[in-house]
Amino acid sequence: MAERAYITPIADEDLYVLDTASWRVYRPVMDKSKCVECGMCMTYCPVRAIIGTDDKKYKITYDYCKGCGICAAECPRKAIEMVLEGGAE
Amino acid sequence: MSYIDVLREAEDQVTPGASACQGCGGELILRTVLQIAGKNTILGVPPGCMAGAGSVGWNFNSGVRIPVTIPLLDNCASLFTGISQMYQRKGREDVNAVIVAGDGATADCGFQSLSGAAERNEKILYVCYDNEGYMNTGYQRSSTTTKGSRTSTTPLGSVINGKVQHQKYVPLILSMHGLEYCATASPSDMKDFVEKVQKGLAASKKGFAYLHVFSPCPTGWGYASDQCIAVARKAVKSNMFPLWEKDENGYKINKVIKDPMPIREFVQGISKFKKLTDEQIDSIQQMVDTRYAELERLAGKE
Repeated sequence: MAERAYITPIADEDLYVLDTASWRVYRPVMDKSKCVECGMCMTYCPVRAIIGTDDKKYKITYDYCKGCGICAAECPRKAIEMVLEGGAE
Repeated sequence: MSYIDVLREAEDQVTPGASACQGCGGELILRTVLQIAGKNTILGVPPGCMAGAGSVGWNFNSGVRIPVTIPLLDNCASLFTGISQMYQRKGREDVNAVIVAGDGATADCGFQSLSGAAERNEKILYVCYDNEGYMNTGYQRSSTTTKGSRTSTTPLGSVINGKVQHQKYVPLILSMHGLEYCATASPSDMKDFVEKVQKGLAASKKGFAYLHVFSPCPTGWGYASDQCIAVARKAVKSNMFPLWEKDENGYKINKVIKDPMPIREFVQGISKFKKLTDEQIDSIQQMVDTRYAELERLAGKE
């Protein structure tokens, strides 16, 4: 382990990452035709698993999503549905 | 730039895989605060949920992309006094010194060092995520726990029916310290929250800034994880957690609720309030009304 020059380790390389996607029981699935791009799902996602794309739209990423369901509950257009993992896509 | 664009563009400074519970309000608060504070920040996280969730790392790996330190439960504000002073002397006034602490490290154990730092007006932004208890160790009561809450140290039984005392209202106590900026915020009102973090960061260049943020806890309080924001919204709507700020212009209530929701409705569906008696609900309602009247008086509404 390299000697640290700072008061604390700085983790650009050694970031502590946990596989939180394995906790997921329900998977959020976005219905793009209902989405009005308001951004509420991204705003309230505690994991920041919903990201803004370049064309001003929003996209759910599943690498770390814990499946809490806040996005589905907060979506004003009910465009996100929670689907059981392992079931139909 | 609207608050959605701010959150959209800002880089997430926390590890993507943090082990906070599903639907954790504290994780949302930590990420939002650090997104706005940015890369040029030093972070302090006292022991508590966010430290346990991996923001301070594990096995020599760090959990955030900025310098972070985990002090003791009771000395975070005094440690950051030193860190902030060091940066001032080095001529690095641009560095944000940010503390994200739970209510145990704020209202109970860390209160004397927090009070001291606030009185000295040190250049720190102190964010408290108030989940009303020691959630990290299995929900023991803290001084901000609401009356009647079921916790592991105030169980429901024949002698007591949940916590006996009312909660301590920390933000109002802190605002009396003559600090630069003091505010309460809720993750349900993101626009207000983002603006207050920005204002708090600006104020922390001049003196002490304190933010008290409501943080519902699905695991400890006992509600479905997708209801996190809904519970926070109900707390604001029922005046259980009024949104106000105090800056150089004095007190101001940011969100005036025209027809507040009764506390009886707020406690619905939260398992820690399941066995509340009518007497306890009336008592909480009375406390909430008195507190709000006091805030209105301070804000000069009467």
